[in-house]
Amino acid sequence: MEQHLQDLYEVLSKVDGYVYPNEIELNWSILIVLYPYITGLVAGAFILASLERIFKIRILKPTYGIALLTAFSFMLVATMPLVSHLGKPLRAYEIMITPHSSSAMAIFGFVYLWYLMVVLFLEIWFDYRRDMVIWAGETTGFKRFMYRLLSLWTTDISPKSVALDNRIGYIVTVIGVPSAFLLHGYVGFIFGSIKANPWWSTVLMPVIFLFSAMVSGIALVMGIYIILSKIRRQVIDMNCLDTIARYLFYILIIDFTLEGLDQIHRIYVAEESFEALHKLVFGQLFFTLFIVQGFFGTILPLLTLGTFQFYKPRAEIRKVIYLVLSVLILIGIFFMRWNVVIGGQLFSKSFYGYTSYKVGMIGAEGYLMAAIWLIVPFLILSFLLWLLPPWKKIETDHGNLEE
Amino acid sequence: MKKEKTKLSRRDFFSAGTALAGGVAITSVLAGYDGLLFAAVTPNAKGIWYGIGIDINKCIGCGKCANACKLENNVPQAPFYFRSWVEQYTIKNDGSIVVESPNGGIDGFKQSVPDKDIFKSFFVPKMCNHCAKSPCTQVCPVGATFETEEGIVLVDEKYCIGCRYCVQACPYGCRYIHPDKGTVDKCTLCFHRLKKGLKPACFEICPTKARIFGDLNDPGSEINYFLKNHNCMVIKPNLNTGSKLFYNALNPEVR
Amino acid sequence: MPQHIKRLIIAFSLFLALFLVLRQVLRPESFGELGHFRAKAIPENAMRPMHYTVTDSCTKCHGGIRSEKDKGFHKNLKCEVCHGPGLKHATYAGQFKNGALPDSLKLYKPGERKDCIICHQLNAARIKIQFDTINTTMIHQIDPVKHNPGDPDTKEAFKCIDCHSPHQP
Repeated sequence: MEQHLQDLYEVLSKVDGYVYPNEIELNWSILIVLYPYITGLVAGAFILASLERIFKIRILKPTYGIALLTAFSFMLVATMPLVSHLGKPLRAYEIMITPHSSSAMAIFGFVYLWYLMVVLFLEIWFDYRRDMVIWAGETTGFKRFMYRLLSLWTTDISPKSVALDNRIGYIVTVIGVPSAFLLHGYVGFIFGSIKANPWWSTVLMPVIFLFSAMVSGIALVMGIYIILSKIRRQVIDMNCLDTIARYLFYILIIDFTLEGLDQIHRIYVAEESFEALHKLVFGQLFFTLFIVQGFFGTILPLLTLGTFQFYKPRAEIRKVIYLVLSVLILIGIFFMRWNVVIGGQLFSKSFYGYTSYKVGMIGAEGYLMAAIWLIVPFLILSFLLWLLPPWKKIETDHGNLEE
Repeated sequence: MKKEKTKLSRRDFFSAGTALAGGVAITSVLAGYDGLLFAAVTPNAKGIWYGIGIDINKCIGCGKCANACKLENNVPQAPFYFRSWVEQYTIKNDGSIVVESPNGGIDGFKQSVPDKDIFKSFFVPKMCNHCAKSPCTQVCPVGATFETEEGIVLVDEKYCIGCRYCVQACPYGCRYIHPDKGTVDKCTLCFHRLKKGLKPACFEICPTKARIFGDLNDPGSEINYFLKNHNCMVIKPNLNTGSKLFYNALNPEVR
Repeated sequence: MPQHIKRLIIAFSLFLALFLVLRQVLRPESFGELGHFRAKAIPENAMRPMHYTVTDSCTKCHGGIRSEKDKGFHKNLKCEVCHGPGLKHATYAGQFKNGALPDSLKLYKPGERKDCIICHQLNAARIKIQFDTINTTMIHQIDPVKHNPGDPDTKEAFKCIDCHSPHQP
């Protein structure tokens, strides 16, 4: 408490121009940066998985399972930064009990549950059920119990029931794609619908969030696939990797175009808030917006991936470059969220001044806490990969189903 | 006639669009908004419908209102939490604008721009606008903030989850998170005093009677007299918030 | 229907039923009576404690000072403008004999320069002269640096109340 006040006095001494007194405290901190970031990773990873399943891009097969489990692991954690940021975390349940229909935030609980339970859980369940039944017979102890529990003590693995699983799984994925769009477009709407804040208030916000989500999710799965293959000492399927990179390239172009369009529109219409935002962009946001998000997170990957469409260096070099690019993109998208969430609070709604934001290390809103919520999904993912290794599954060709 | 038609269809379009976009309240789109005219046709035709008037010409910037507000409502004394505060706007001869509000004006103002550089200077007391189409109640995910029948925006301390979405949604910076309670706090127009038939603390204490409030539905009320006899305007009318805080002699520079 | 689908449906139904039950149990009792909020929050807001008193409650004991004030420039000022919130004082101070008033019930007695210049310091935003009908407020302003800054010998600052009675300035 005392520390908090001290920090606020420090911010007060650094205020540039005039901000409303209540604006000195920055209300949405690094944890709220993580929230759209993590949900974005979920949506993106899921869409990569559905490319294989629905759009039958079978070359992506090696990443299908990884993508699904990644999406699931991050989804389990997605609400945690939000809840830990609440002033009254124990009251979080109220959002499910009395959701306010006019609030963009209230529906989150339901969109979240729908996506977690109906889409991700069911798709994984139907995909893994036969394997879990088989594995339950081959293992003992904790693992055996988990398989039994997760398969709900079912035993039926006749070709007929497996075919049914496959069909339902397909339907779930078909529902899942619009759900993923909904989930992340909706997160964008939470920001885009705040008319008080000109930095957020744009109709493009949901679309931008959606495409940047796809970019980050695909980059994440690409990185995890490369690292996982290294750890498992497996040969990386370069065809698969090149295909992912190609999709990444396409979506990155769309993302870049949309964000560019948003900025060009702002500059051209130059509304009341323009001067204030202009100063913000070239001041406090310059490094995170132009250098990190713009150059390292967008333009550099775009140029590299673009070059790869015409000229491909040796596989060894490509692998390393892909890994580096995936990290760069992940950092870039993180700072895209940062620029939206934190950037939107650095200027006063009076447009007469700027406050500043310093992330503390400890405390509920420090970067240690944020780091925890970024590390936990990877722990969950490791556990899931141990429990449900996609590479040990019996091959089911999703493509055969509809043919 | 033609205009009327396009207006309607746009309205329909908005309604459908917002419903699709997640059932967002459409109330704000349905009622037209024109700063002062809005006060003349009040949405709530029955009972009391509170409006507030502040006369900038009368304000001497003593900050007594901000101080009284803090003491009456147990607002934390640190200069980051205000339900009510005073700003000094100084428009300089070179066209630049200086806005100040040291400790919300509670400790008084020291003129920072020398007289020779000043084009004009004035005080603007700020407080919750008690918007009729308030963006803050619209976004509350749990229904912990709401408008009463009398048009006062209140907070339910026992139900607020402290998500701070309403703080982001308020265009006037009138909400803050109470550091001890973890819930949001804002001006209640001294609801506890109103209900006892008393004036809110800031109105009671203002030494120059720069602040008045009253029933917008009552044609003979002080607030209606004030609105009829002064050139009144609300802050940020473009945002269509249905603000019920009307300023006399408000400069467009005030935001 | 295959066995595993049945079990899945049961699991989901249980989950849904649990949610519906919790929703019923956890919903606050007065929620939704007047709108999407707890109706009881309105009386709760109305019950908060007051600190500023009712106008004129000072006259009961301090009638003399009050009538003195009502003759001067400060006639429109409530006592609490300078003395601070006085509800507790007005309610309980009557029980104590002269001088026995506990500190917690004593009101602020402004007498320092800073107390007066909060209103009377020269400032471009304060209206100096009544130059037309719109500007109805006139307030005496001084430059505290120049206006009798202090005793030239002892360097001790004068207090405003050395010359001006705050109740009849």
